[in-house]
Amino acid sequence: MLTYILRRILLMIPMLLVVSFLIYLGLELTPGDAVSYMIPPDLGGQISPEQMEAIRESLGLNKSFIERYFIWLWGAVQGNFGYSLSGGVSISQIFLDRLPATLELSIAAILISTVLGTALGVITALKRGSATDITLTIGGMIGLSIPDFFFGLAALSFFALELGWLPVGGRLMPGYETFWDRLPHLILPATVLALSLTAGVMRYSRAAMLDALSQEFVRTARAKGLPEWRVNVLHGFRVALTPVIVLVGFRLPFLIGGSVVIEKVFQWPGVGNEFVSAVRSQDYPLVMMIALLSVLAVLIASLIIDILTAVVDPRVRL
Amino acid sequence: MGTAQSEADVVVSVEGLRTYFYNDNRCNKAVDDVSFEIRSGKTLCVVGESGCGKSVTASSIMQLLPRLARIEEGSITFNAQSGALRIDKLDRNGRAMRNIRGGEIAMIFQDPMKSLNPVYTVGFQIAENLKYHTRLASRAIRELTIEMLGKMGIPLPEKRVDQYPHEFSGGMRQRAMIAMAMACNPRLLIADEPTTALDVTIQAQIFETMLKLKAEHGTAIMLITHDMGVVAELADEVAVMYMGKIVEGGTVEEVLRTPRHPYTKALLASIPVLGRGRNQQIEPIRGSTPDPYDRPVGCQFAPRCDYAGEKCAVMPDEEYVSFTHRVRCWKHQEVAPDE
Repeated sequence: MLTYILRRILLMIPMLLVVSFLIYLGLELTPGDAVSYMIPPDLGGQISPEQMEAIRESLGLNKSFIERYFIWLWGAVQGNFGYSLSGGVSISQIFLDRLPATLELSIAAILISTVLGTALGVITALKRGSATDITLTIGGMIGLSIPDFFFGLAALSFFALELGWLPVGGRLMPGYETFWDRLPHLILPATVLALSLTAGVMRYSRAAMLDALSQEFVRTARAKGLPEWRVNVLHGFRVALTPVIVLVGFRLPFLIGGSVVIEKVFQWPGVGNEFVSAVRSQDYPLVMMIALLSVLAVLIASLIIDILTAVVDPRVRL
Repeated sequence: MGTAQSEADVVVSVEGLRTYFYNDNRCNKAVDDVSFEIRSGKTLCVVGESGCGKSVTASSIMQLLPRLARIEEGSITFNAQSGALRIDKLDRNGRAMRNIRGGEIAMIFQDPMKSLNPVYTVGFQIAENLKYHTRLASRAIRELTIEMLGKMGIPLPEKRVDQYPHEFSGGMRQRAMIAMAMACNPRLLIADEPTTALDVTIQAQIFETMLKLKAEHGTAIMLITHDMGVVAELADEVAVMYMGKIVEGGTVEEVLRTPRHPYTKALLASIPVLGRGRNQQIEPIRGSTPDPYDRPVGCQFAPRCDYAGEKCAVMPDEEYVSFTHRVRCWKHQEVAPDE
């Protein structure tokens, strides 16, 4: 198991190299350039091509594509992730600022959606065909098909503007120090994000549970005279757990990347929000780092899924 | 020989059982007026093609029917030590039924690959049964589990007990299933085609184990099979089922040597016999089983029967041709071989 984990971690290095190159290439192919984005439109006329060239040279943008990639790579390997082109702030600092917000939101959303989704999925599976099942299944379908920005805006206009129960957006206010101070800000975005995730978990766990309950070993368990709760929980749910773990595991990258849409709608100062502005301003060092970290998160998440699957299912050997 | 003497040995008696399936507003009379008795220390073989209702009969006794199925009529009486219990009157998953299930009546299934839960050790799954039907402490349960595995001929039971089903071979898994079923020393073991998924050499070993149990504990066995060879070897009594009805029943001698129903006779004629050479006549039964939603009128076998006549448009009643031998056919006298 340990050697397996080590091997998987070592394998991530070439994968990250390839992916980083691809992202770099993608950025290169995107039209537009960072320097012209830095200059306010109303000053455009006052800047000569020579000045533009000087800025470009000072940022190392005049070198060839391959050269720039290796300069970036060399820096990254040494732990120097560079500076944001648009703000001049070091990228490590940006992450230190943004990541806590994203983590807070994503952990809350993943926790809520996993617990709620699994519970609802199991209930609907056990009460298959009943009114509860049909209502929740239709609700889940609606949840899946309505985009979360709509949910977000609707929730904002109702709970924040109409009722005034919760703040409209943002995360920090001057003087707000503790988590409990920030909690009212977290409730809306976390709930909206969680609800859209819940629908998926619910449908998934319902299907997994139904599948498990239709297996013959469930009949064996009943034939042993076990009480229904034990049949459903120990024999049904325990087996249905594996696919649910996989689904939730694939959502772990969310922790790093954040939800672009929800963060935008709620002006949540997270990584996702930053990512959008970075892409728009062609801030390639920043885009590179966010994208790479997201990729790393995906790789780590899939490793975690594999380990968890092996723990939960004795048939899986690592 | 007489029925009066064996009355006390009856473990389960089924009387006029009708179990129907409801699907899309249609009704499938899967088990239609079936009666039989199972005596302790005896093996009853229920034979028939797939879909004839033999498994549904077994599930009815265990109250393990699918949701869409219901016992409509008839009675299933289990003679417990404390007195007779009407199984059909019990709540499907109520405490009384659960105490019988696994404790007094145990069941093993066709495919041991699928009937053990893959995420628990074999020992855990056997112990589970003991936990709910005995008052033993967990240490005693574990010892008994190991002992049961050993008795079923599983080598190194103290090591095997902590292994998962996927670490067992097919035959071993079925042994583990039997160990699980027999753990609480039930009075009746229902085996639903226990060897269909196993290869022939293993089959013999499994049956040997079952016979040993029967001899040692006086367990009654209800064996569901479609293999006439198995019937000849293991059965004390036979019930031949066709389209939800027992068409012929009796001791194994009676049914196999002097079949009275054309269906039994046809079944026996369709089996190749070793030693008769490759030119022997194997006669398949012509036609195929009717659609349960579109049944023939009268005798269900009539459309495929060589003896069929006008009378067969009406379902014949059960007729006893000897104390134990019963048949449901108008023409059974014609069918009977000359004696």
